[in-house]
Amino acid sequence: MSNDLQWLLLRRSNAYIVKRVPEGPVFSKEPGNLRNLHSYKYSGLANSKTIDVKDDNGTIKIVTRKTKASPHAVKSAYGTTSIRPRSGTRRALGIAAASTAKRGYRPDLRTATLARVSALLAAQREPKQAPAKKLRGKKAKALPV
Amino acid sequence: MASRPTVNVHSAAGKASTSLPLPAVLTAPIRLDVVQQVHKSIAKNKRQAYAVSEKAGHQTSAESWGTGRAVARIPRVGGGGTHRSGQAAFGNMCRGGRMFAPTKTWRKWHVKVNQNQRRFAVVSALAASALPSLVLARGHRIEQIEEVPLVIENEAEAYTKTKQAVALLKGLHAYADVVKVSNSRKLRAGKGKWRNRRHRQRRGPLVVYNEDNGIVKAFRNLPGVELVNVRRLNLLQLAPGGHLGRFVIWTQGAFGLLDEVFGTFDKASVYKKDYILPTAKITNPDVTRLINSDEIQSVVRPAGPATQKRPWTQKKNPLRNKAVLFRLNPYAKTLRRQEILKQERKKKAAPKKQVKPRSAGQPFLDTLFAP
Repeated sequence: MSNDLQWLLLRRSNAYIVKRVPEGPVFSKEPGNLRNLHSYKYSGLANSKTIDVKDDNGTIKIVTRKTKASPHAVKSAYGTTSIRPRSGTRRALGIAAASTAKRGYRPDLRTATLARVSALLAAQREPKQAPAKKLRGKKAKALPV
Repeated sequence: MASRPTVNVHSAAGKASTSLPLPAVLTAPIRLDVVQQVHKSIAKNKRQAYAVSEKAGHQTSAESWGTGRAVARIPRVGGGGTHRSGQAAFGNMCRGGRMFAPTKTWRKWHVKVNQNQRRFAVVSALAASALPSLVLARGHRIEQIEEVPLVIENEAEAYTKTKQAVALLKGLHAYADVVKVSNSRKLRAGKGKWRNRRHRQRRGPLVVYNEDNGIVKAFRNLPGVELVNVRRLNLLQLAPGGHLGRFVIWTQGAFGLLDEVFGTFDKASVYKKDYILPTAKITNPDVTRLINSDEIQSVVRPAGPATQKRPWTQKKNPLRNKAVLFRLNPYAKTLRRQEILKQERKKKAAPKKQVKPRSAGQPFLDTLFAP
């Protein structure tokens, strides 16, 4: 079954559509949707090649649908590449690009893949400590350091 | 044509043992519009008749007072001694009157759907249930199962205990869908609660069997799981709510019988008289692939030069725009230049002598101040 036809069958209604804001953007929360947007390009359901970037206890996993998998296969149709937690940002992004777009696997999703990887890496980072509060006005005068 | 695709038969542990060819029904055309239309009509066939009481609003002997009493001519309840006397009755605008067009039990509750359409819808729904993406899109938790359509060995038909059924679903990694149903159980909003529809929940897998040797009793207590015989497949179960892609678990016997029940594209069904499957309008629905195929690309004319959508640019007003004016009337440039030069010459020429105002003459003043 062609991807276009599958998209036509599931674009009107499916379990993952999120229409919160009237007149606003339509989101989609299925795995494999890199921008979480309800569109054919980013759909993780309709496309026969999809890229899913997710975080698994600090390891970033890139799950792709195998090109030669049977159209009926479900679990065995997916392959996983993982990025070690210690590899730095630049290395992680390099691995992400090399395992997908550079192989000619959905090169149109390169930016979206890298954006998602960076977002996950940024989320893993320890948040910077807030600077110590400075006293102002009378309190500063009363307590000279 | 390439060899027919096959589907593995899974044992209770989830291992693939033998394989079966894919029945023709599962490659039938999928028509969402047909399924929705047929579902909408079929879903009406289980309704129960309701109506207001035949007598409601008419259990009074009201009569109109006629004209001349400075009140509306609506029938009014007679007598006295109660508030009801003198009140208007019968009309749909009256308090205590009958409703407008009272509902009748002989309303047309059922909708007839042509047999071929019903069969088309069932066939479409079955074909959709064989595509992982559509089953996922319906919300079934099938990410961990091996393949769709999911076929299990025949021994499952002889299961009699729910424990065995649960073990089977867990072995197939299909139990997640049952868990989803279990977690989705919510109290219904509204009066349905006291009309034996207390809870609402999702739908789980549909188990299709060939022969019931206990399988129905083994599975029926699992939340959301429904069972049906292959010969009696029903659109309301295959596409609940008119949404394609129900998660179907087939027993081997049931799966093998599909070609007999629905026939193939060139062989009539055994169970449905003279029924052959509907054929798709195009054999290969991948239109992009068709367009880019060598066969098409070798005969199409080469692409011509890019044509501009608007052959001229935006229209300009020659009276305001100098360049356009000069293009239309080359002499206008000379005219303009001459005009400018003339102005400059005029400016450069010696300034005019200032005429000093002289005082008025005596004869004029005499006339002016004449007494």
